[in-house]
Amino acid sequence: MPTESSIDQSEILYIDAISDALRDEMRADPAVVLMGQDIADHGGAFKITRGFLDEFGDQRIRNTPIAESGTIGIATGAAMLGAKPVIEMQFADFISCGFNQLVNVAAKMFWRTEHPVPMVIRLPGGGGMGAGAFHSQNIEAWFLHTPGLKVVTPSFSGDAYRLLRAAIRDPNPVLYFEHKFLYRRERSAIDKNTTPDRIEAESNVLRSGTDITVISWGWMTHRTLEAASTLAEEGIEIEVIDLPVLCPLDITTILESVERTSRVAIIHEATSTGGFGAEIAAQICQDAIWTLDAPVLRITYPDSPPPFHKDLEATRIPSAERICSELRQLKRQ
Amino acid sequence: MVDHARRSSLSDDKATAEGPGSIRELDDSVHDSLREMHGYMRLAREWDLRFEKMFRTGALSKWYSSVGNEATTVAAACAIEAGDSLLTLHRDSGAILRHYLDIHEILPGLVPETSSGRKSVGGDSRQRFLRLACQMLGRKHGFSAGHERSYHYNLIEEQHGLIHIGMISHLGSMIPVAAGTAFAFQQQGNHQVALNFIGEGATSTGDFHEALNIASVWKLPFILVIENNRWAFSTPASQQYACQQLADRGQGYGIPGVQVDGNDPEAVFAVMSSAVDRARSGEGPTLIEAMLGRHRGHSEADDSLDLVPADEQDGYSSQDPLDLVEKKLVDRSTLSVSDLAEIRNRCASLVMVLVDEAMSMPQPDPESPRRIHAD
Repeated sequence: MPTESSIDQSEILYIDAISDALRDEMRADPAVVLMGQDIADHGGAFKITRGFLDEFGDQRIRNTPIAESGTIGIATGAAMLGAKPVIEMQFADFISCGFNQLVNVAAKMFWRTEHPVPMVIRLPGGGGMGAGAFHSQNIEAWFLHTPGLKVVTPSFSGDAYRLLRAAIRDPNPVLYFEHKFLYRRERSAIDKNTTPDRIEAESNVLRSGTDITVISWGWMTHRTLEAASTLAEEGIEIEVIDLPVLCPLDITTILESVERTSRVAIIHEATSTGGFGAEIAAQICQDAIWTLDAPVLRITYPDSPPPFHKDLEATRIPSAERICSELRQLKRQ
Repeated sequence: MVDHARRSSLSDDKATAEGPGSIRELDDSVHDSLREMHGYMRLAREWDLRFEKMFRTGALSKWYSSVGNEATTVAAACAIEAGDSLLTLHRDSGAILRHYLDIHEILPGLVPETSSGRKSVGGDSRQRFLRLACQMLGRKHGFSAGHERSYHYNLIEEQHGLIHIGMISHLGSMIPVAAGTAFAFQQQGNHQVALNFIGEGATSTGDFHEALNIASVWKLPFILVIENNRWAFSTPASQQYACQQLADRGQGYGIPGVQVDGNDPEAVFAVMSSAVDRARSGEGPTLIEAMLGRHRGHSEADDSLDLVPADEQDGYSSQDPLDLVEKKLVDRSTLSVSDLAEIRNRCASLVMVLVDEAMSMPQPDPESPRRIHAD
């Protein structure tokens, strides 16, 4: 048991890491402005901006009407003229209402005109809380098919903090997917002194192993780590690669690992068909198929909207047990 | 409509060389202001006639004409200044030329020096005009270096206070972006305003509603001008909306909604000036509905104009804004018929020279890189 004095004070909850990153970047850069539904007096649906109105005032903390398209469009125009808007989607699912503004106006602006659009959209997403079909989806693949965006999916508090500040400083539209299930369950160390200016391709090799490479992000990284511990006791060594950034993709680390292990699985909470696992699998097949001893495995949500009841939902989300079982099979192939 | 662009550039060059003082000047500022608006309207008209002709000869793959919209677009752009943002469609060459060019620089003496009441953007007008022609022709020196078509580009020259953001094809989608530029001005605490043009068809989009609503709630310095030419591609206004007039929608957003005769530049300028004053003083957005005629099809490549009944088309032709403004100038004894011919010749000649020059400019390099992300 650690004594109270030995607890690392820099270990903070994932949700607090997001809140701290926003606050610190707003203090550092007066051009940063927050927009979102119920973010001002109410502090947001998840209270991430609680206290921000008092500190930064109503010019920089803007409650928006329920108008995702209008909000994204306004953020785009403002970003082109020096503002740095950060939009909170109340739930990631609601971004569909602003789809055209995002994929046709914001995402294409730099390619079309060479005028940068430095904006961030925070997207609380993911399941595990019985929130139903419109508060639980994992929709990153919709936007990975859109050139011009960057896509961030932190799994740990440290990455959540560092990458949100980097996203705000990046001159491109960045989609920042924050997993609701991790808000108050993930707690780890953060380093507030390293704040990069750009979102770059990066990955975390969280565990070295020789038998199977497993690639995942968000909540699924935590389940992968749990499965890897179990399998290690059985003598199966998993190399766990976490992807806090999906676009741009660090394919190099993935390919190097796959060439060593010769077996690979991609695990994501999003649905299967057309999911980002399919793209990673395709790139592995294209560039490293001759190093593989078994077919590429995907462990994903089925092609189904999220059901409401927790027990129904739990059968869809890849569990540590399911991951263990499928990886054991992959090892035998 | 007579196409004057065919005239020889030889005689027109001579006219250009005559310089200041070649046209009778009056010291009446109202007349001067109308003369200036007319100069830009005529320049825009000749610009469009030239490109329409190039489309017919196959030199262009597509053209959307601004013919008939010049009174509204020029007058509206006369009411904004350097530092303000302009967001346009494909029928807004009048606003673009008005905002980009110093007419005294490119056509010396065409209009009196005393006429301009607005703070013009700086920079080299002729060079900008040439690059605009290159943009229309997809040339390397166009604003998008051949990557985007016609008016789908931006031109932002911060040092000159020029902020022009072009359209995407999804009509209505730029309304929130325009409001966003107004938001940036408000955040920065300056008194700049955003001017955005849309057609009446785009008023049916969700973005029209969302942007106007937010702009009103936040009191953004935003002016939205609907160029209502009563036809969206082939869809008549009766199938587009059922309210009496689109200006009435302003009331629903808690903002002024004003309908104006879009063929009368002085009326448009007056309405715009009030809207700009309101925006600059922090009172919020204004919705302006400019009533226009349908003078051309959706694009020059389709037969949508055939659906506009002949008598309706005749009515629009009889209200051609160029004809109306020229008649007014003659009736007021501001300009003579021969003055008007000279202005027309000089505008047509300049357009001819610039477009020919642009035609000789290099095509984009097919291997030229284009980045997806900003560094």
